Amino acid sequence: MTPIQTSGEVFDAVQRAKAGATAFCTNFFPVESKLRGWIDHGEMFVELRDRAAFFFRKDRDFLRFYFCAADGAALQREIAAWPGLKTERVVTDLVGNESAVNNLRSALEPAGFRQHAQLQRLMRTGRPESGADGLPVGFAEKADGPAVLGLIESLFDRYGEQLPMLYEIEAAIENRQILAVRNDSELAGLLFFETQGLASTVRFWAVAEKFRALKVGSAVMRQYLKIHDAVRRFTLWVNVGNENAIRKYRHFGYAPDGLIDHVLASGLGST
Amino acid sequence: MKSVIEILTEIRPEFDFAASGDFIADGMLDSFDMVTLVSALDKNWGISIQGTDIVPENFQNLQTIEALLRKSGAKP
Repeated sequence: MTPIQTSGEVFDAVQRAKAGATAFCTNFFPVESKLRGWIDHGEMFVELRDRAAFFFRKDRDFLRFYFCAADGAALQREIAAWPGLKTERVVTDLVGNESAVNNLRSALEPAGFRQHAQLQRLMRTGRPESGADGLPVGFAEKADGPAVLGLIESLFDRYGEQLPMLYEIEAAIENRQILAVRNDSELAGLLFFETQGLASTVRFWAVAEKFRALKVGSAVMRQYLKIHDAVRRFTLWVNVGNENAIRKYRHFGYAPDGLIDHVLASGLGST
Repeated sequence: MKSVIEILTEIRPEFDFAASGDFIADGMLDSFDMVTLVSALDKNWGISIQGTDIVPENFQNLQTIEALLRKSGAKP
Protein backbone atom coordinates (compact mmCIF):
# COMPACT_ATOMS: atom_id res chain seq x y z
CA MET A 1 0.00 0.00 0.00
CA THR A 2 1.28 3.44 -0.93
CA PRO A 3 0.46 6.42 1.29
CA ILE A 4 -1.57 9.08 -0.53
CA GLN A 5 -0.19 12.62 -0.31
CA THR A 6 -2.71 14.59 -2.37
CA SER A 7 -6.33 14.26 -3.46
CA GLY A 8 -5.07 14.48 -7.06
CA GLU A 9 -3.47 11.05 -6.60
CA VAL A 10 -6.88 9.68 -5.64
CA PHE A 11 -8.60 11.11 -8.69
CA ASP A 12 -5.78 9.91 -10.99
CA ALA A 13 -6.14 6.39 -9.61
CA VAL A 14 -9.92 6.48 -10.09
CA GLN A 15 -9.51 7.66 -13.69
CA ARG A 16 -7.00 4.89 -14.32
CA ALA A 17 -9.52 2.27 -13.17
CA LYS A 18 -12.25 3.91 -15.26
CA ALA A 19 -10.19 3.90 -18.46
CA GLY A 20 -11.74 1.37 -20.80
CA ALA A 21 -14.18 0.20 -18.15
CA THR A 22 -17.27 -1.59 -19.45
CA ALA A 23 -19.09 -2.12 -16.16
CA PHE A 24 -17.33 0.25 -13.79
CA CYS A 25 -18.12 -0.47 -10.17
CA THR A 26 -17.25 1.45 -7.05
CA ASN A 27 -18.19 2.11 -3.47
CA PHE A 28 -16.01 5.22 -3.30
CA PHE A 29 -17.86 8.55 -3.34
CA PRO A 30 -15.42 10.78 -1.44
CA VAL A 31 -16.45 14.18 -0.16
CA GLU A 32 -13.50 16.43 -0.95
CA SER A 33 -13.25 18.06 2.49
CA LYS A 34 -13.31 14.72 4.33
CA LEU A 35 -10.86 13.17 1.91
CA ARG A 36 -8.45 16.05 2.47
CA GLY A 37 -8.65 15.54 6.24
CA TRP A 38 -7.92 11.81 5.93
CA ILE A 39 -4.95 12.49 3.65
CA ASP A 40 -3.59 15.25 5.91
CA HIS A 41 -3.70 12.82 8.84
CA GLY A 42 -1.82 10.10 6.94
CA GLU A 43 -4.80 7.74 6.94
CA MET A 44 -5.20 7.13 3.18
CA PHE A 45 -3.39 4.50 1.13
CA VAL A 46 -3.75 3.30 -2.44
CA GLU A 47 -3.08 -0.01 -4.11
CA LEU A 48 -3.03 0.17 -7.90
CA ARG A 49 -4.09 -3.13 -9.44
CA ASP A 50 -4.83 -4.43 -12.91
CA ARG A 51 -8.02 -2.55 -14.02
CA ALA A 52 -8.76 -1.60 -10.45
CA ALA A 53 -7.72 0.87 -7.77
CA PHE A 54 -8.11 0.06 -4.10
CA PHE A 55 -8.17 2.72 -1.42
CA PHE A 56 -7.68 2.03 2.25
CA ARG A 57 -8.35 4.33 5.15
CA LYS A 58 -6.66 3.46 8.42
CA ASP A 59 -9.38 3.57 11.09
CA ARG A 60 -8.38 2.58 14.62
CA ASP A 61 -7.37 -1.12 14.46
CA PHE A 62 -8.56 -1.91 10.94
CA LEU A 63 -8.67 -0.71 7.33
CA ARG A 64 -11.74 0.68 5.63
CA PHE A 65 -11.72 -0.51 2.02
CA TYR A 66 -12.99 1.43 -1.00
CA PHE A 67 -12.70 0.16 -4.53
CA CYS A 68 -12.95 1.33 -8.13
CA ALA A 69 -12.86 -1.45 -10.71
CA ALA A 70 -13.42 -1.76 -14.45
CA ASP A 71 -15.94 -4.53 -13.77
CA GLY A 72 -16.94 -7.11 -11.18
CA ALA A 73 -14.50 -9.68 -12.51
CA ALA A 74 -11.54 -7.31 -12.07
CA LEU A 75 -12.71 -6.53 -8.53
CA GLN A 76 -13.06 -10.21 -7.64
CA ARG A 77 -9.71 -11.22 -9.13
CA GLU A 78 -7.67 -8.32 -7.72
CA ILE A 79 -9.05 -8.27 -4.18
CA ALA A 80 -8.49 -12.02 -3.88
CA ALA A 81 -4.89 -11.50 -5.01
CA TRP A 82 -4.15 -8.61 -2.65
CA PRO A 83 -1.79 -10.01 0.01
CA GLY A 84 -2.93 -7.60 2.73
CA LEU A 85 -6.21 -9.43 3.02
CA LYS A 86 -4.41 -12.26 4.80
CA THR A 87 -2.97 -10.04 7.51
CA GLU A 88 -5.30 -7.05 7.97
CA ARG A 89 -8.76 -6.49 9.36
CA VAL A 90 -10.67 -4.98 6.46
CA VAL A 91 -14.19 -3.54 6.41
CA THR A 92 -16.16 -2.28 3.43
CA ASP A 93 -19.61 -0.87 2.72
CA LEU A 94 -21.92 -1.76 -0.16
CA VAL A 95 -24.87 0.58 -0.52
CA GLY A 96 -27.74 0.27 -2.96
CA ASN A 97 -30.59 -1.91 -4.07
CA GLU A 98 -30.44 -5.68 -3.61
CA SER A 99 -29.41 -6.63 -7.15
CA ALA A 100 -26.55 -4.13 -7.38
CA VAL A 101 -25.29 -5.06 -3.93
CA ASN A 102 -25.57 -8.80 -4.58
CA ASN A 103 -23.33 -8.51 -7.65
CA LEU A 104 -20.65 -6.79 -5.60
CA ARG A 105 -21.05 -9.20 -2.69
CA SER A 106 -20.47 -12.12 -5.01
CA ALA A 107 -17.21 -10.47 -6.09
CA LEU A 108 -16.02 -9.95 -2.50
CA GLU A 109 -17.18 -13.10 -0.72
CA PRO A 110 -14.76 -15.47 -2.49
CA ALA A 111 -11.95 -13.35 -1.03
CA GLY A 112 -13.27 -13.97 2.48
CA PHE A 113 -15.56 -11.01 3.15
CA ARG A 114 -18.59 -11.82 5.26
CA GLN A 115 -21.55 -9.70 6.36
CA HIS A 116 -20.76 -7.90 9.62
CA ALA A 117 -23.75 -5.54 9.92
CA GLN A 118 -26.60 -4.12 7.96
CA LEU A 119 -27.69 -0.51 8.19
CA GLN A 120 -30.83 1.07 6.80
CA ARG A 121 -31.38 4.66 5.87
CA LEU A 122 -34.26 6.51 7.49
CA MET A 123 -35.64 9.72 6.08
CA ARG A 124 -37.82 12.50 7.34
CA THR A 125 -39.23 15.11 4.97
CA GLY A 126 -41.09 18.34 5.44
CA ARG A 127 -40.73 21.14 7.87
CA PRO A 128 -39.55 20.44 11.40
CA GLU A 129 -42.17 20.56 14.09
CA SER A 130 -41.73 22.95 16.94
CA GLY A 131 -41.77 20.85 20.06
CA ALA A 132 -41.78 21.91 23.67
CA ASP A 133 -38.35 22.76 24.98
CA GLY A 134 -36.99 20.36 27.56
CA LEU A 135 -33.56 20.27 29.11
CA PRO A 136 -31.12 23.01 28.14
CA VAL A 137 -29.25 22.06 24.96
CA GLY A 138 -26.19 23.86 23.62
CA PHE A 139 -23.43 23.31 21.13
CA ALA A 140 -20.53 21.17 22.30
CA GLU A 141 -17.41 23.10 23.18
CA LYS A 142 -13.78 22.47 22.39
CA ALA A 143 -13.11 20.86 25.77
CA ASP A 144 -15.94 18.36 25.13
CA GLY A 145 -14.02 16.62 22.33
CA PRO A 146 -12.66 13.64 24.32
CA ALA A 147 -15.99 13.12 26.13
CA VAL A 148 -17.87 13.18 22.81
CA LEU A 149 -15.44 10.64 21.35
CA GLY A 150 -15.69 8.47 24.47
CA LEU A 151 -19.49 8.45 24.40
CA ILE A 152 -19.63 7.60 20.69
CA GLU A 153 -17.01 4.86 20.98
CA SER A 154 -18.79 3.32 23.97
CA LEU A 155 -22.16 3.07 22.22
CA PHE A 156 -21.45 2.40 18.53
CA ASP A 157 -19.78 -0.41 16.58
CA ARG A 158 -16.48 0.90 15.21
CA TYR A 159 -16.55 -1.50 12.27
CA GLY A 160 -20.14 -0.93 11.25
CA GLU A 161 -20.72 2.75 11.82
CA GLN A 162 -17.74 4.85 10.62
CA LEU A 163 -16.90 6.50 13.93
CA PRO A 164 -15.14 9.87 13.77
CA MET A 165 -11.58 10.43 14.95
CA LEU A 166 -10.89 13.06 17.62
CA TYR A 167 -9.72 15.61 15.03
CA GLU A 168 -12.99 15.17 13.13
CA ILE A 169 -14.96 15.73 16.32
CA GLU A 170 -12.93 18.85 17.09
CA ALA A 171 -13.63 20.20 13.59
CA ALA A 172 -17.33 19.41 13.99
CA ILE A 173 -17.40 21.22 17.33
CA GLU A 174 -15.77 24.24 15.71
CA ASN A 175 -18.36 24.14 12.91
CA ARG A 176 -21.21 23.84 15.46
CA GLN A 177 -22.29 20.41 14.28
CA ILE A 178 -22.59 18.79 17.70
CA LEU A 179 -25.40 19.57 20.13
CA ALA A 180 -24.87 18.54 23.73
CA VAL A 181 -26.79 18.21 26.97
CA ARG A 182 -24.81 18.42 30.19
CA ASN A 183 -25.69 17.25 33.65
CA ASP A 184 -23.58 19.40 35.96
CA SER A 185 -20.38 19.34 33.95
CA GLU A 186 -20.81 15.82 32.63
CA LEU A 187 -21.80 15.08 29.03
CA ALA A 188 -25.23 13.42 29.23
CA GLY A 189 -26.12 13.25 25.55
CA LEU A 190 -25.29 14.53 22.10
CA LEU A 191 -26.45 14.78 18.53
CA PHE A 192 -23.76 15.02 15.83
CA PHE A 193 -25.09 16.18 12.46
CA GLU A 194 -23.92 17.21 9.00
CA THR A 195 -25.97 19.72 7.03
CA GLN A 196 -25.57 20.70 3.41
CA GLY A 197 -28.02 23.09 1.82
CA LEU A 198 -31.53 21.74 2.22
CA ALA A 199 -30.45 18.33 3.55
CA SER A 200 -29.21 17.26 6.94
CA THR A 201 -27.92 13.93 8.24
CA VAL A 202 -27.78 12.79 11.85
CA ARG A 203 -24.48 10.98 12.26
CA PHE A 204 -24.80 10.09 15.93
CA TRP A 205 -27.52 10.51 18.51
CA ALA A 206 -26.39 9.23 21.87
CA VAL A 207 -27.31 9.39 25.53
CA ALA A 208 -24.95 8.17 28.26
CA GLU A 209 -26.22 5.08 30.07
CA LYS A 210 -26.66 6.78 33.44
CA PHE A 211 -28.75 9.63 32.00
CA ARG A 212 -31.28 7.50 30.18
CA ALA A 213 -35.00 8.07 30.96
CA LEU A 214 -34.34 11.74 31.67
CA LYS A 215 -35.55 12.84 28.21
CA VAL A 216 -32.03 13.90 27.24
CA GLY A 217 -32.39 12.30 23.80
CA SER A 218 -35.70 14.01 23.12
CA ALA A 219 -34.35 17.38 24.16
CA VAL A 220 -31.35 17.21 21.87
CA MET A 221 -33.38 15.90 18.91
CA ARG A 222 -36.01 18.61 19.30
CA GLN A 223 -33.31 21.25 19.37
CA TYR A 224 -31.71 19.75 16.26
CA LEU A 225 -34.99 19.91 14.35
CA LYS A 226 -35.71 23.38 15.65
CA ILE A 227 -32.45 24.89 14.39
CA HIS A 228 -32.91 23.28 10.96
CA ASP A 229 -36.11 25.01 9.96
CA ALA A 230 -34.83 25.58 6.39
CA VAL A 231 -33.99 21.92 5.84
CA ARG A 232 -36.40 19.83 3.78
CA ARG A 233 -34.80 16.41 3.96
CA PHE A 234 -33.45 14.72 7.08
CA THR A 235 -31.65 11.38 6.83
CA LEU A 236 -29.67 9.01 9.02
CA TRP A 237 -28.33 5.46 9.01
CA VAL A 238 -29.23 2.99 11.73
CA ASN A 239 -28.37 -0.64 12.38
CA VAL A 240 -31.38 -2.74 11.28
CA GLY A 241 -31.19 -4.67 14.55
CA ASN A 242 -31.32 -1.59 16.76
CA GLU A 243 -35.08 -1.65 17.32
CA ASN A 244 -34.92 0.71 20.28
CA ALA A 245 -33.25 3.45 18.22
CA ILE A 246 -35.53 2.84 15.23
CA ARG A 247 -38.61 3.22 17.43
CA LYS A 248 -37.30 6.55 18.73
CA TYR A 249 -36.48 7.82 15.26
CA ARG A 250 -39.96 6.87 14.08
CA HIS A 251 -41.36 8.93 16.94
CA PHE A 252 -39.66 11.95 15.39
CA GLY A 253 -41.04 11.23 11.93
CA TYR A 254 -38.25 9.21 10.35
CA ALA A 255 -39.11 6.17 8.19
CA PRO A 256 -37.08 3.74 6.05
CA ASP A 257 -36.49 4.96 2.48
CA GLY A 258 -35.40 1.57 1.14
CA LEU A 259 -31.65 2.14 1.00
CA ILE A 260 -29.54 -0.53 2.69
CA ASP A 261 -25.83 -0.51 3.59
CA HIS A 262 -24.28 -3.98 3.82
CA VAL A 263 -21.13 -3.81 5.93
CA LEU A 264 -18.78 -6.62 4.97
CA ALA A 265 -15.66 -7.55 6.89
CA SER A 266 -12.63 -9.76 6.52
CA GLY A 267 -10.22 -10.83 9.25
CA LEU A 268 -12.26 -9.71 12.24
CA GLY A 269 -12.30 -13.19 13.73
CA SER A 270 -13.91 -13.11 17.14
CA THR A 271 -13.47 -9.36 17.75
CA MET B 1 -41.85 10.50 -22.06
CA LYS B 2 -41.15 12.30 -18.81
CA SER B 3 -39.03 15.42 -18.57
CA VAL B 4 -35.84 15.53 -16.49
CA ILE B 5 -37.50 17.73 -13.92
CA GLU B 6 -40.43 15.32 -13.60
CA ILE B 7 -38.02 12.45 -12.94
CA LEU B 8 -36.08 14.48 -10.40
CA THR B 9 -39.28 15.40 -8.62
CA GLU B 10 -40.38 11.76 -8.49
CA ILE B 11 -37.08 10.84 -6.85
CA ARG B 12 -36.99 13.76 -4.40
CA PRO B 13 -40.48 15.27 -4.19
CA GLU B 14 -39.55 17.47 -1.25
CA PHE B 15 -37.36 19.75 -3.38
CA ASP B 16 -38.06 22.42 -6.00
CA PHE B 17 -35.46 21.59 -8.64
CA ALA B 18 -36.50 24.48 -10.87
CA ALA B 19 -35.36 26.89 -8.17
CA SER B 20 -31.82 25.56 -7.82
CA GLY B 21 -28.72 26.06 -9.94
CA ASP B 22 -26.64 23.51 -8.05
CA PHE B 23 -28.43 20.39 -6.86
CA ILE B 24 -25.31 19.02 -5.20
CA ALA B 25 -24.35 22.12 -3.21
CA ASP B 26 -27.97 22.60 -2.19
CA GLY B 27 -28.07 19.06 -0.79
CA MET B 28 -30.86 18.00 -3.15
CA LEU B 29 -29.05 15.03 -4.69
CA ASP B 30 -26.55 12.75 -2.97
CA SER B 31 -24.46 9.98 -4.51
CA PHE B 32 -27.22 7.41 -3.92
CA ASP B 33 -29.81 9.64 -5.61
CA MET B 34 -27.48 9.93 -8.60
CA VAL B 35 -27.48 6.16 -9.05
CA THR B 36 -31.32 6.11 -8.84
CA LEU B 37 -31.53 9.01 -11.26
CA VAL B 38 -29.24 7.30 -13.80
CA SER B 39 -31.43 4.22 -13.76
CA ALA B 40 -34.56 6.35 -14.33
CA LEU B 41 -32.93 8.35 -17.12
CA ASP B 42 -31.71 5.15 -18.83
CA LYS B 43 -35.21 3.71 -18.74
CA ASN B 44 -36.96 6.89 -19.84
CA TRP B 45 -34.67 7.57 -22.82
CA GLY B 46 -33.72 3.97 -23.68
CA ILE B 47 -30.02 4.69 -23.22
CA SER B 48 -27.19 3.43 -21.04
CA ILE B 49 -25.28 6.14 -19.21
CA GLN B 50 -21.69 5.04 -18.71
CA GLY B 51 -20.49 4.40 -15.15
CA THR B 52 -17.58 6.72 -15.85
CA ASP B 53 -20.07 9.57 -16.33
CA ILE B 54 -21.68 9.13 -12.91
CA VAL B 55 -19.83 12.02 -11.32
CA PRO B 56 -21.33 14.99 -9.42
CA GLU B 57 -20.38 17.51 -12.15
CA ASN B 58 -22.87 15.85 -14.52
CA PHE B 59 -25.74 16.19 -12.05
CA GLN B 60 -25.28 19.78 -10.87
CA ASN B 61 -28.31 21.25 -12.63
CA LEU B 62 -30.81 20.69 -15.43
CA GLN B 63 -28.35 21.87 -18.10
CA THR B 64 -25.59 19.45 -17.08
CA ILE B 65 -28.05 16.54 -16.90
CA GLU B 66 -29.39 17.39 -20.36
CA ALA B 67 -25.83 17.58 -21.69
CA LEU B 68 -25.18 14.13 -20.21
CA LEU B 69 -28.30 12.78 -21.90
CA ARG B 70 -27.15 14.14 -25.28
CA LYS B 71 -23.69 12.66 -24.76
CA SER B 72 -25.28 9.30 -23.92
CA GLY B 73 -27.28 9.26 -27.14
CA ALA B 74 -30.71 10.39 -25.95
CA LYS B 75 -32.86 11.77 -28.77
CA PRO B 76 -34.84 14.91 -27.91
